[in-house]
Amino acid sequence: MMEPRIPGMSIASQSAQVHAESTPVTVEMDPVEYTLRKRLPRKLPKRRNDVYVNMKTDFRAQLARCQKLLEGGGHREICIHGLGLAINRAINIALQLQASSQGVLQLAANTSTVELVDDLEPDDPDEAREPMTRTRNNSAIHIKVFYPDPQ
Amino acid sequence: MSASKVKMRERKLKNQPVSVQYLSSSTQHSGSSGAVGDAGPSDTHTSAEHAKTPQQPGGWVRGHQKDGGGYTREMPSCITAVAFAQARAAEVSAMLKAVTKTTGSCHVFGALPKHMRRRAMSHNTKRLPCRLRDVANRMREKSLQSGSKKKEQAKNKSRKARRRHGNLLLEFNRRQRKNIWLETHIWHAKRFHMVKKWGYCLGDRPTYKCYRPCYRAMSSHCLLQDLSYYCCIELQGEEDKLLLALSQLTSKETGPTFAAISSLSGQRQGSLVVYRAGEYPSQPLGPVTFLWRPRAQGSGHRHLWIWAHPTMKQDLLPELQVVCQCSEAVYPLLLPVGIPAGTTHELQPKPENSSEVEQVTGTKRKRSSEDASVPPAKKILGDGTRSPTTPVTWKSSSTGIVINDLTMEIVRYRLIGPQSHAVLADILEAATECDEKSRAHPSSLWWPEHCRDENKMNLHKQQAEVYQTLKGVSNSGELPPGTVLGLTVDDPRLTLPSKKVKALASVKPAEDVDEEKRRELMLRGVPEHCCQSHLWEKSVRDNVTDHKISEQQLNRMKSEVLVPGSRLTPTPPQGRVPILLVHQPGKQVGREMSSWGAGWDLLLPKGWGMAFWVPLVYRGVRIGGLHMSLKHSQNKGAPHFPHDYPDCPAGVHFQEEQEGEFLDKFKRRPPAKRTNYIKHGCLAPFRCPWQQLAEEWELILGEGEKRRGESQAQNMAPSDTVMEEPMTSQRDVAKPRSRAAVLRNRKSLKLLSGWCRPVTSRGQRACRTAEMPPLDRSGVARFIAAHEMSLVWVRLSLLSKGKPEVHAMVCVPTAEDLQLLGKGPGSSGPQEPPHKDHLRSRTKHKKKAKTSLPSKMDSSEPATSEDLEPSSDSTLGLWPDPLPSVTSHCSRVTLGWVTQGDFSLSAGCGEALGFISVAGLLDTLAKQSMEHRGVVLLRNPASLHYRFAKVNIEV
Repeated sequence: MMEPRIPGMSIASQSAQVHAESTPVTVEMDPVEYTLRKRLPRKLPKRRNDVYVNMKTDFRAQLARCQKLLEGGGHREICIHGLGLAINRAINIALQLQASSQGVLQLAANTSTVELVDDLEPDDPDEAREPMTRTRNNSAIHIKVFYPDPQ
Repeated sequence: MSASKVKMRERKLKNQPVSVQYLSSSTQHSGSSGAVGDAGPSDTHTSAEHAKTPQQPGGWVRGHQKDGGGYTREMPSCITAVAFAQARAAEVSAMLKAVTKTTGSCHVFGALPKHMRRRAMSHNTKRLPCRLRDVANRMREKSLQSGSKKKEQAKNKSRKARRRHGNLLLEFNRRQRKNIWLETHIWHAKRFHMVKKWGYCLGDRPTYKCYRPCYRAMSSHCLLQDLSYYCCIELQGEEDKLLLALSQLTSKETGPTFAAISSLSGQRQGSLVVYRAGEYPSQPLGPVTFLWRPRAQGSGHRHLWIWAHPTMKQDLLPELQVVCQCSEAVYPLLLPVGIPAGTTHELQPKPENSSEVEQVTGTKRKRSSEDASVPPAKKILGDGTRSPTTPVTWKSSSTGIVINDLTMEIVRYRLIGPQSHAVLADILEAATECDEKSRAHPSSLWWPEHCRDENKMNLHKQQAEVYQTLKGVSNSGELPPGTVLGLTVDDPRLTLPSKKVKALASVKPAEDVDEEKRRELMLRGVPEHCCQSHLWEKSVRDNVTDHKISEQQLNRMKSEVLVPGSRLTPTPPQGRVPILLVHQPGKQVGREMSSWGAGWDLLLPKGWGMAFWVPLVYRGVRIGGLHMSLKHSQNKGAPHFPHDYPDCPAGVHFQEEQEGEFLDKFKRRPPAKRTNYIKHGCLAPFRCPWQQLAEEWELILGEGEKRRGESQAQNMAPSDTVMEEPMTSQRDVAKPRSRAAVLRNRKSLKLLSGWCRPVTSRGQRACRTAEMPPLDRSGVARFIAAHEMSLVWVRLSLLSKGKPEVHAMVCVPTAEDLQLLGKGPGSSGPQEPPHKDHLRSRTKHKKKAKTSLPSKMDSSEPATSEDLEPSSDSTLGLWPDPLPSVTSHCSRVTLGWVTQGDFSLSAGCGEALGFISVAGLLDTLAKQSMEHRGVVLLRNPASLHYRFAKVNIEV
């Protein structure tokens, strides 16, 4: 449930030049229009105490879910993941959790880079071009929220 | 008159002579015998019906007729005495006959007056008066005899005998002669509501409640559907000739065609909308998906599979024959060389297919030896409705193209959902090679033969490797859309778990999967040669189908395994199946929920359906029927065939059917409980008059242009003026118009989609809109000139609450409505003032006039009014044809209608899919302010409440 859906970005018909600088696989630019379709980010197997934050679900609902896991769920630690735009929200949730626990909970944040794949479908009339793929990187954050050991 | 009433009347009059009618013209004949009509009881009724002419109402009719019955009839001016006397004589004799005969039932107590009848008289004759007992006893015996005889005839075999395998099979074969059964039919019939549709028996929805579980399966686990009813048409020929022929059916404006380079190589599945040859943009046939077979080395000969919906096949196949010039039908029986053996063999007894035949007829060996002429029953695989002599192959001498109809030759299963990948990885195992021993001997099976070929084995190893890498991917949405992978797998029944388990992606990533390889696969897709599969070869398909191990044999082999429940080793040589895996990309359009509903299609040779179905079910997938596939495309925002193709012949036919269905349902309600659609201002609650809509919008725009030309200065609020326009005067403009067409030009759709979006302050979007031409009058005019009479597919998401229903109206909001919207999210939409039902008040007046007439039979009043109702050609509460102007009928101008609407579980609000007129949409958009651009109103047919919705056009 990572957040791949940044509003207004998933489809764009534009000349590929706009993306030239961000493309690691050097693609020689041509005037043909491409349709950009984003694939989902790679999904890794998920434990019960993993929370993937997205921008679509209500903030309070996500916060409540984390609280439930920590209090009712009996987990000593949970891991909050956020990708791209949702990083902010992941941080917010973690901080809220900490604040509401009166400082008992501790945080440990890690950042990483996630490789995302986009498909570029050519819209050319003579259909001589192959569809392309390009990869781009996006930042992600993984926050471990945990009760410290008593000793 | 209702059907039951007619039936009752018929029964009453069964033994009665026909009502007498004496025509003056028939005086020459010996009148009485002809007119009295001693015809048998079977045709009495019909002749009685005929006799019921307005002048001489015969038969038994209660009450007086609506044309005045016998009261206002003119009396003849003169009477011929002889004829008159003869007529009376005939009447008298008929009457006498009627009196002597008992009515309806032939029971004795029918003759008794009511107060002498007793309960259970027919059962106990002692309750009858003495004088009737003898007769009654005789009658009873007779009826008992006849009853027992009848029963014996119906039940000629015991249940046990009927359920015996061979007899059951015969029965099943008989039953699937009319409608084709899928291979999973029996499985479905036990669990689903079956419907007979398009010449197939298909499961509509499960008998248990599972709407939400099925949705959850689609969005988080896996939903399985049997799509084998889709028809596959195979084209073979030179690549350039095929492309040339097929290019007539498509247009590049609608997106990639058959020639798109990625699908041409065979690496991707393509999909497009097919038109009649050279007719684009009018006369579409419907959507198809297609798959090219990867090129063989150094050969231009290609194979192409076109998958189409069965309702479309009858249109598509002739069209393909025309463009490929394939007029020569290859008759399977007359030309034994070119036999497409697979299509005919199932109907002929086949000697080499020993195992299955023996299984089937094993129990009845003795009987079959008695009458050897009867061929042993055999399970029908494939199309059982087609006669064996029907041609399925057409070839052309000029172009060399061969068309093969592969309907029901290939089983197609669709797995939807992110975990479909894990499910497939669980059931499919790349085929194991055969051991040395079997490799040494030549064999009739295909796999040992293949094992000897070095090249083929190499390919198999590579495919297996790709498949292994694919297992490392945990979500089907991460793959390149439309990927194809050919594979040969072991019989999945060998690894059937003993209990139903839920297949999930393994929590620990498989260590043996090379990360680098996985990345390569994600970016480049499956390499071209790995898309090759032996499923393309007819001989291999038939071989695999014929040599399938039967369930019984397999179970016996399993029971002989030393450790119960362990895998059967070595794999029996028959247990390898060539398959094709085709990736389905899921939701591709729009911004939200991308890749929702992605999954895999599994293509199998025929006969193997159940062998894969049961293992799939044992992996905990949900099974969906037709209803779920509709919901699937609805959530994807994609038009569903044939529901959402109003311009295709199949779509038109579907609409007519749907209208009839809805109308029947409507009429089944008691009249007082029906919705009065006239009062709701709904002109066509059961259908969508697209043609009329498009025509009217053309007129509205034309009028608008004219007025603008006349008085440039005063531009009034146009939506108001539109309504006041006298639409009736425009009806007589009988210009031959083109038919309403659905806009499928991608460029235009993109433009429209950009215009629909509200322009916000966000920088990126502003810069993107700057690229396209602004929405001004000239742009609109140009657009409309290019696409006149067109409709556009839109997705409408409701801004507040409300659940749109099918055939809900999409309307243009007025300026005041938009102010209402601006007030806040809590404000609901405007209301439609209730309309007046003129028809109803008119009929009421009539009724009143009727009752005021002097009539002595008051008791017959209700019957009369009921008789009157169906005779008037309209149903109460529905507008009679022809409809008045559909656009300006309500207080808000109608733009279009919804073809599918429901509460969307994925979006969390009501969502509707439908078509609106392009001209109307552009007109509306041009008048709306920037922040409210693309807001329309939605109103259900049975409601007066308008709801705000947002128009999305997704490309």
